[in-house]
Amino acid sequence: MLTEPQKRISEKALKVWRISGGIKAVVGWVFAAAALFIIHIFDGPIWLTSSIIIAGVIFTFLLTFLFPALRWKRWRYEVREEEIELQEGIFIRTKTLIPMIRVQHVDTVQGPILRKYQLASVIVNTAATAHEIPALEENEAEELRYSISNLAKVADEDV
Amino acid sequence: MSEPKRLHPIVIAINVSKKLKDFFFTIIALFFIGNKGDGGQLLLVGGSLLVVIYIFVSSFLSWLRYSYRLENGEIRIEYGVLVRKKRYIPFDRIQSIDISEGVLQRLFGMVKVQIETAGGNGVDEAEAVLSAISKEEAQSIQDYVAELKTPRLADTEEQEFLNTNSVIYKITTKHLLLLSLTSGGVGVVISAVAAFLSQIDELIPFERVFRGIETLAVGNVIIVAVLVFIGFFIAWILALIGTILKYANFTVIKTEHDLVISQGLLERRQITIPLNRIQAVRINENIIRQLLGFSTVLIESAGGSASNQEGSKVAVLPLIKNREIALTLQPLVPDYHIDIPFSPVPKRALSRYIFRSWLLVIPIVIIALIFLKVWGLLSLVILVAATFWAFLKFKDAGWNIEKEQLSLRYRAMVRTTILTKKNRIQSLEVKESYFQQKKELATIETFVKVGFGGAGGRVLDLGKKDVEQIFSWFSKIKRD
Repeated sequence: MLTEPQKRISEKALKVWRISGGIKAVVGWVFAAAALFIIHIFDGPIWLTSSIIIAGVIFTFLLTFLFPALRWKRWRYEVREEEIELQEGIFIRTKTLIPMIRVQHVDTVQGPILRKYQLASVIVNTAATAHEIPALEENEAEELRYSISNLAKVADEDV
Repeated sequence: MSEPKRLHPIVIAINVSKKLKDFFFTIIALFFIGNKGDGGQLLLVGGSLLVVIYIFVSSFLSWLRYSYRLENGEIRIEYGVLVRKKRYIPFDRIQSIDISEGVLQRLFGMVKVQIETAGGNGVDEAEAVLSAISKEEAQSIQDYVAELKTPRLADTEEQEFLNTNSVIYKITTKHLLLLSLTSGGVGVVISAVAAFLSQIDELIPFERVFRGIETLAVGNVIIVAVLVFIGFFIAWILALIGTILKYANFTVIKTEHDLVISQGLLERRQITIPLNRIQAVRINENIIRQLLGFSTVLIESAGGSASNQEGSKVAVLPLIKNREIALTLQPLVPDYHIDIPFSPVPKRALSRYIFRSWLLVIPIVIIALIFLKVWGLLSLVILVAATFWAFLKFKDAGWNIEKEQLSLRYRAMVRTTILTKKNRIQSLEVKESYFQQKKELATIETFVKVGFGGAGGRVLDLGKKDVEQIFSWFSKIKRD
């Protein structure tokens, strides 16, 4: 059994994901309401109406409670001298290894919700792929970006 | 040679004809729409005339402004009419050079040079495109590049300045025919025809035509079937001719630092790839070729773009007997291990392979049974075929680690074997779903930098122990 990476992302990520899940749920409800309205106009069957509502409630629960919790529990990362290791995924656990010499550049990004909670995401780019470490504490993200780009500088071969 | 040079003026004609071609369909369409009223037509003619004039003038100006020179180990290009741009590309960074002679260029004894770097997003054209320069000029660029490379070698150990150019592979007529007969290019031709039809559907009153066909079709299914068959047959013949023209005179030469591939009959082209730029070796076998014991070997480099896909995935051996691959490829890529045993996917994965194929097919079968009743039973043939295919996928999947090289083998439509060196892999992923975990299986995926389209390999449902071994092999830290 391989060992898991050690570091977790910020616990505030849970809140952020709940909020963004909530926003998605609201958007979903708008569509559901439209559908319900149309069904009402055309005198649709009652089972259709009720199953839409039940599905809506379940999805709201999943988006705002279960998924953020599972996602946070799974998310781990570790930045070592020569490589970066990530672990993520709710249903499918994905472990990723990125050699430091393959890192081309590192970004930090911060959306409005993340900013409100003083969080930021770090995106590590290789020549072929991009990998996001979501919702780290602002200063931690800054430090990470700095140290990764420093460690990556050592590499002198290209692509 | 540092004085700036222009391209041959034939470039103007090439650009004008290309732009006119794009514009042509628009004009035709406009004529059909704006057919009513004389005033509208006059406006249309005037507008078209203006556009045509604009095309001529802008093509001329962009030719006038386009210049290139070789300086300081770089190719320096200046271009742009309104916004003037300069692009300097160090020859060190070149991933591939592609010299081609289209029919138009050949009439004037010109060639087109496309230079690829690893930069750019691979969506547009090559990083530098010299649409028409004389052959001597192209040769002098190549000489310049070669000259740059040689001194660097001179400092290292004894120099072997023999002429190291050696022919690695030359296609035989028999193989050329076999290659064309077994090529999967039919799909390409069909889609090209479809694209062409969609272009001219403003021209032909398709609806009326189809209504005619429809009434005919109801009465006569056989005629339609025959028509479809004829259509496929023509498409196949066209693909066959296309492949013959493309791969005629196919030759691979290895020089000191580069791999040089020349090919083509009507449109000749020559691709140069520095040997140290090779990212991965890919061996493809479509089902027919696999049965005959042949495969295609591609070399992947980080250059290449949408309009020049050959720049990133080059067929170095378009058709070769499987047992000859290792011997032929060895001099080209001496550090790759080609004859290697593959560890298979464990037996317990078979049910997952079959289940995955059923996921898509079962609903089709059910729908067919519901709507077509007895005839729906025919869809069971699809089910059997899908199951057989899933079994093939299961049987073909495998992996191997040989020192610094990871080899993955898997099948989608064609069986693919991808050989990569550890230091060329950009990132590596291991995936386990809940169900895979229960069966102690996992999926492995690697990513390699290739100019156009993602590349790498993915093998589903390998044994967990095996995947862990690959993961540890790729990791820089010691793991238990």
